[in-house]
Amino acid sequence: MTRRLMQGSQAIAEAAILSGCRFFTGYPMLPFTELLENMARKLPATGGVCINANSEIEAINMALGAAATGARAGTGSCGQGLALMQEGIAELALNELPLVVFNMARGQQDYFQATRGGGWGDYRTITLAPKDVPEAVAHTQLLFDLADRYRTPTILYGDYVIAHSSVGIEVERLDFDPLPAKDWALDGSMSGTGEARQIWTWARGKPNTPGPGPNRAWKTIAEKYEEIARVEPRFEANRTEDAEILVVSFGTTAIFVDRVVDELRAEGVRIGSFRPITLWPFPGEALAEATEGCAQVLVYELNAGQMVDDVRMFAADRSAIRSIGGVSQDNSGMRQGDLLNAEEVRTRVQHAMAQPPAAVPSGRTSS
Amino acid sequence: MEREVMFTGVGGQGVQIASKALATAAIVEGRQVLLVPRYGGGMRGGMTNAEVTIGDGPLRALPVATAAWSAYAMDPSYWSTIQPNLRPGAVVVVNSSLFTVPVGVHDASVFEVAASDVATDLGSPMSAGFVLLGAFVAVTGLVAVDSVIEAMQQLVPSYRVQHVQANERAIRAGVAEVPALAAPAWAEGAEIG
Amino acid sequence: MTTIDTTSVPDQPSRQVVGFKPDLLQSGDHELCPGCGHPVAWRLVLDVIAELELSNRSILIAGHGCYTQMMKLSDLDSLQCLHGRAPAVATGVKRMVPDAAVFTLQGDGDMVSEGLHEVLHAAARGERVTALLFNNGVFGDTGGHLTATTVIGQRTKTSLEGREAEAHGYPIDVSRLIAQMEGTAYAARGAVNTPGMVARTKRMIRRAVELQMAGAGFTFVEVLTMCPTGWFVPTPAGPEYLEESMMETFGIGELKAPE
Repeated sequence: MTRRLMQGSQAIAEAAILSGCRFFTGYPMLPFTELLENMARKLPATGGVCINANSEIEAINMALGAAATGARAGTGSCGQGLALMQEGIAELALNELPLVVFNMARGQQDYFQATRGGGWGDYRTITLAPKDVPEAVAHTQLLFDLADRYRTPTILYGDYVIAHSSVGIEVERLDFDPLPAKDWALDGSMSGTGEARQIWTWARGKPNTPGPGPNRAWKTIAEKYEEIARVEPRFEANRTEDAEILVVSFGTTAIFVDRVVDELRAEGVRIGSFRPITLWPFPGEALAEATEGCAQVLVYELNAGQMVDDVRMFAADRSAIRSIGGVSQDNSGMRQGDLLNAEEVRTRVQHAMAQPPAAVPSGRTSS
Repeated sequence: MEREVMFTGVGGQGVQIASKALATAAIVEGRQVLLVPRYGGGMRGGMTNAEVTIGDGPLRALPVATAAWSAYAMDPSYWSTIQPNLRPGAVVVVNSSLFTVPVGVHDASVFEVAASDVATDLGSPMSAGFVLLGAFVAVTGLVAVDSVIEAMQQLVPSYRVQHVQANERAIRAGVAEVPALAAPAWAEGAEIG
Repeated sequence: MTTIDTTSVPDQPSRQVVGFKPDLLQSGDHELCPGCGHPVAWRLVLDVIAELELSNRSILIAGHGCYTQMMKLSDLDSLQCLHGRAPAVATGVKRMVPDAAVFTLQGDGDMVSEGLHEVLHAAARGERVTALLFNNGVFGDTGGHLTATTVIGQRTKTSLEGREAEAHGYPIDVSRLIAQMEGTAYAARGAVNTPGMVARTKRMIRRAVELQMAGAGFTFVEVLTMCPTGWFVPTPAGPEYLEESMMETFGIGELKAPE
């Protein structure tokens, strides 16, 4: 095994190239910039194209064009830049075009953006939130596969820590099941045959090949997302079988939470952790199961309370839920602040544990 | 009592201004009105529908009628979008110059007016929609003809004011094409102006 | 020269030997207004594609407007994209399929109002596509509203007394902006209001496409088209109004071309 010291952005770029990404574009914005720089350095040598876009709107639309030809394509920014891409992401979804969008986020405050979306229409994006660089490398490859498999835009919810940290890693190619050919892709070859292809969110088709129209097309797309929600949720649950306290978090924050959970377990506390790996589709059933019998469900996220909405939807006992995270930005405004800290996590978990529980489930006592 | 009128035509035939003129006329006469247009992008050639509900008191009507009292049809192209929403015995006034398909409404009272031809003969083909509107209000007495003319004068946009007189001629020509109050809207009957 | 006997009915009924509808049009049934210049302009593009034998290598990216129907009716691999973004989408397409003939079709509202950023940057980058602008000085599809190319004095629903510089600013000559870009290989403005103009515009389109396929850089043709509905003029007055208003303001000709 040949491990090298690689910055997260570098490793993700290599994973994208291993996945066959042939087109990448973006507008520089910290902490996404290094991913763009790496792709600019590496992609052309493989025959691909990397364009430094002149705006995030330009970027998402160029990526859409590349995706329309069947090429594996990627773009990204941080949440502030993804804000400009929302219309384009919706357009990709409603055109059933695949894409991987990298949100190298400035923190955890883009959860709503990633899971609810700011575009128009009935669409979702498959969103993965890795906890560290090795997971980000695996998720990158998985997203290129899922994007093609389901013909949908997808999001990698990374962050400053993942983008900028360097670790010893070997980027290994993952294998996936074969995918159907992209006969919908535009290359000009069907022009003049009487059966030219057409990609149009209104799906009206052409006179020779009428389409289903927007009503039927959008219903079909919605059904597809329902199927994804059934099949693709992913999560990690640590020591939840006998836990009385459950800490829920996502992304980088989860490794801090798990450290504290390990410590407290060693001290005899019946505590466990849960993190969604797919922010969408949120692994609701698994969360419900993990919260069974928990006197407290503590949500630790670095924002004013976003994922907690999804926790409320699925937790076995909503009265057990407490948000113990909060807005946390460092003074530059560009990365997580003081709450990304194991001591802080521990303090807040213990503080919550000392509070009287809202209701004690029968047969259980808090330790 | 509430009376619904379903308008349909093809973009460019004057359906929107006709429905708005009817609605405006009803307001002028002191009635309550709901006007709901339905059209897509493009200035010409596509579906252009409207629903007008007129009543004596606060309306119970919903923005989508399902048992409308009457219809005004300039063109058959989008007739299928309103025909299912008409009640049996509906009053249907059609532009027979273009509308040559079966109305398909049980027991309907159908009045045929060659509105496009009448307008062309008057030298103002664009006023065909007003010909049909004149006929419609004459047959039903839903509003007074003079109210419709006054409404039309208010509604014609600044870039079309040169057509006001032609529109009035068209309305009156439409009135002349049909038997007055052959299908009265209001039980007590109304005089046409 | 054979003389045809016309004293009696011919033995055979006449038959159509040459079709009038181009092969690249799946149907000629459009819903555009009488007097609209778009179908005339679009016909030229389809003829050029066929004449240059690019019929099975062409990809069209169309914006939002009345002209979107041209995309729908044409036998070309097509993508309908977000308002203003066609040159960006075309960039992604052409970079991935460099052998294709890539066209963008936009109106003035789409390109010059919403999408000025995208078209200027695509031109600056020298993207090897042919961008087409059907310019009638109005947002026709939404009902006839002011755009960045509406000329001074032109009446629209958002400039009912006519565009005034004081209130509405000045129109943008986008061909001139594009012609200034180093990445632009060809920029021209034609019109379709007279047969002479139609012929001249076809030559411009042909030149643009030839230069695209030669890899010369960004190629651009602006076609002034009639919109009597949006202009509030009677249908037959469209061609003359075009000459008095848009041609007068912008001029016709090749603004940039190789030697």
